Amino acid sequence: MNINQLIFRNLLKNIKHYYLYVFALIFSVCLYFAFVTLQYDPSMDAVEGTIKGGAAIRVTSILLIVIVAIFLFYANAIFIKRRSKEIGLFQLIGMTKDRIFWILGVENFILYFGALFLGTFVGFSFSKLIILVLFKITGVKGIAKLHFSTEALVQTILVFAVIYIFIMLMNYVFIKRQTILNLFRVTSSAESRVKNMSVFEIIIGIIGLTGIGLGYYVSSKLFDGDFQTMTELFGAMAFILGAVILGTYLFYKGSVSFLFNLVRKSKNGYLNINEVLSLSSIMFKMKSNSLLLTIITTVSALAIALLSLSYISYYSAEKNAETSIPANFSFGTSEEARLFTDQLTKDKIAYDETKIDVVIADINIGKILEADFNNLNFDPNMTTLAVVSENSIKGVDLEADETLFTNYDGALKKFMPMKNTGNVTLETKDESIPLRLIGLDDVPVVSYKYTAGGMPTMIVDDIVYDKLSTNKNDKLQLASSTYFGVDINKSAEIDKANDIYHDLKLEEQDFSLSRLDMATTNKANMGLTMFIVGFLGLTFLITSGCILYFKQMDEGEEEKHNYTILRKLGYTKGDLLRGIQGKQLFSFGIPLAIGLAHSYFAVQSGWFFFGTAWTPMLTVMVVYTLLYSIFGLLSVLYYKKVINSAL
Amino acid sequence: MKILEANQIQKSYGNKINKQEVLRGVSLSIEKGEFVSIMGASGSGKTTLLNVLSSIDKVSNGTIKIEGSEITGMREKQLAQFRKNKLGFIFQDYNLLDTLTVKENILLPLSITKTPRKEAESRFTRIANELGIYEIKDKYPNEISGGQKQRTSAARAFIHEPSIIFADEPTGALDSKSASDLLNKLSSLNETLAATILMVTHDPLAASYCSRVIFIKDGQIYTQLNKGEQDRQHFFQDIMKTQGILSGVQYEH
Repeated sequence: MNINQLIFRNLLKNIKHYYLYVFALIFSVCLYFAFVTLQYDPSMDAVEGTIKGGAAIRVTSILLIVIVAIFLFYANAIFIKRRSKEIGLFQLIGMTKDRIFWILGVENFILYFGALFLGTFVGFSFSKLIILVLFKITGVKGIAKLHFSTEALVQTILVFAVIYIFIMLMNYVFIKRQTILNLFRVTSSAESRVKNMSVFEIIIGIIGLTGIGLGYYVSSKLFDGDFQTMTELFGAMAFILGAVILGTYLFYKGSVSFLFNLVRKSKNGYLNINEVLSLSSIMFKMKSNSLLLTIITTVSALAIALLSLSYISYYSAEKNAETSIPANFSFGTSEEARLFTDQLTKDKIAYDETKIDVVIADINIGKILEADFNNLNFDPNMTTLAVVSENSIKGVDLEADETLFTNYDGALKKFMPMKNTGNVTLETKDESIPLRLIGLDDVPVVSYKYTAGGMPTMIVDDIVYDKLSTNKNDKLQLASSTYFGVDINKSAEIDKANDIYHDLKLEEQDFSLSRLDMATTNKANMGLTMFIVGFLGLTFLITSGCILYFKQMDEGEEEKHNYTILRKLGYTKGDLLRGIQGKQLFSFGIPLAIGLAHSYFAVQSGWFFFGTAWTPMLTVMVVYTLLYSIFGLLSVLYYKKVINSAL
Repeated sequence: MKILEANQIQKSYGNKINKQEVLRGVSLSIEKGEFVSIMGASGSGKTTLLNVLSSIDKVSNGTIKIEGSEITGMREKQLAQFRKNKLGFIFQDYNLLDTLTVKENILLPLSITKTPRKEAESRFTRIANELGIYEIKDKYPNEISGGQKQRTSAARAFIHEPSIIFADEPTGALDSKSASDLLNKLSSLNETLAATILMVTHDPLAASYCSRVIFIKDGQIYTQLNKGEQDRQHFFQDIMKTQGILSGVQYEH
């Protein structure tokens, strides 16, 4: 058998063994190529025109390659260790290290570039699907065409060639450093020695649990008004991050074995098969993988949280636009409104027009704020609000000393909660008018241009309004003192009206707004975020799942002799398999559960800004769990093979 | 009472063209309470014989009966059932689970048979004291010496009071002090518990602790020696002599 045959046989044997690795390799090439194709795709201009899609896609492809590169390096490190025996054998029969390096190099070359070839091929067809998804999700109307981009191909080949060179460098260093003896011993020396729990470990375990618990606790209190200044708030956020990440690390390092040890102690030496296989082995294994598991859990929690939150904002884009702009179109001057409505009439589009005069005034709302905001660089005694008359709004009739706040919503409301009733003071230029707040309403009255982004609009009695408007503080007034709202009667004609709006170049005016445009832009932005986070998350999920699977493969091989012993003692294959299922439930379940818990608390803090919604989070979590379970199942199948061959 | 009865067992490996016969018709029987050892040179088939007798390997031909039930025709599940109730094992490389403490290792066979906890506890205390490993019960295997490991392994083999215990070179990896220590324990357990032990060894000194020695050569029983009334020293000399003849070296006296 010459060297070439040796390489070839090795390759065939390894592919059967590492099919998942080959799959992950092809998958990552495919995804990368698809993204780079997208980046160079001429149709991206359509996206680029409205939202800076190109830049985002470029950043994504860089992140993608970072994830993939780390994965490949890590996987390679696992495999080269596994094959150390084989390398030692080659050395023993007199091959030089350079020769062995050459064999590995050729083998990897075939594997990598084979995967590269297949990956680009699949990725090319896949890119159309990706573009379709992107178009669909961002609401861009366009036809996805298949463009083969040479630049994309060159870039993909280049990037993976660089990764290949780095991996070969790693292998070279590994081979150079080893002596024959080391190579034979490597697997056993890598394992941490099994010994009794020390007090130190118990302390680590307890600190880990408290860290996570404390982080969760603070995160649920984050926006309850306990942290009032920005410094405090950022301090709290940094604390949560630090406590949770460190806690997670210590959890894997100590808490798992600490908890399992407690369970074991309670059994007083009498363990059943499930406990033998799961408790005892996970106790020691999780410790040595703690850094890896921490990274996997934290990043996946981040991905889940981001995905859920962008999903929420994606689906609330229209609702947000409605609270921000009360009418389909709004203008700040009568000329603009006239220009628009004239054209509408000409095109026979029926509409309703609303005209509301707005005065901006300082209001003392100190007494109705629920929390104390002394430290915030904002004075509740002089809050600037938009004031409108009761006559401008249908169905509102107020007494002279009454006032109604409306359209106070979103993040600001949670951040600065107000009481429903109380006393406020309206400051005109030369007098203070005390008013009684009789309630908070939801109906939007004027566009967000008048309300400083999200502050409530104040409705007052007509007499008070007149008093104010003759005596208003000129410094506070905006360029427009009247809000014009145009509502299109038939929703089918909104698109057409929007075209007119753009034809007249009204969007260039300061106070002109189109609700449709706002919703579309929001949707496109959030859609792009969702798209990017989704694909990055998927890549991360698959690569990290693969790594966990490889780790389990290693563990299975290492524990094979244990299965031999247990089968000799009289445990059946079925007994062992049940035990292994239990073990995998923990091996995959613990990181999964921690990841889900982390993301739940992250999303929960995010609800503050994005509004509460369970469905998107649960959907993302279920999908994540399902994909993750696939790797758990695959590992059980692998263990089954190991158990069968154990006796 | 016959505990184990093997009749004309044959075992061969490989295919039709390239067949390797390891056992060529071995018949033997072991009475309850006997301490028997099988001796033979490397490659004589003694370990294969033990594997076959202990149901870990399948015979090509012949029958094996343990306590009257024939194991040669049993299915995998029945065999597992059989092993957990009737058999105990001691191996040269201890075969302890690294991730379990000494106590947990020893209690494993009781956990398979779902013995009540209290009963398990009292049996453990008794056997661990007998073998002198009670003090190290909460240690992990890599924290104790080879002799202690082998005694742990022995305790695991005895704890569920199996019909027969198979020991494969139990002293192979031990120094002479630990080895004689273990053998003393084994023979005392053999007497006090009336446990039946079948041991494979190539060490004549280890074999001299037994009541009977079966010699195997090229997959067949060559001869056997009974200790009878003589003391261990003489029995050892006999074994040495027989071994000498067996390996073709003439014993000069």
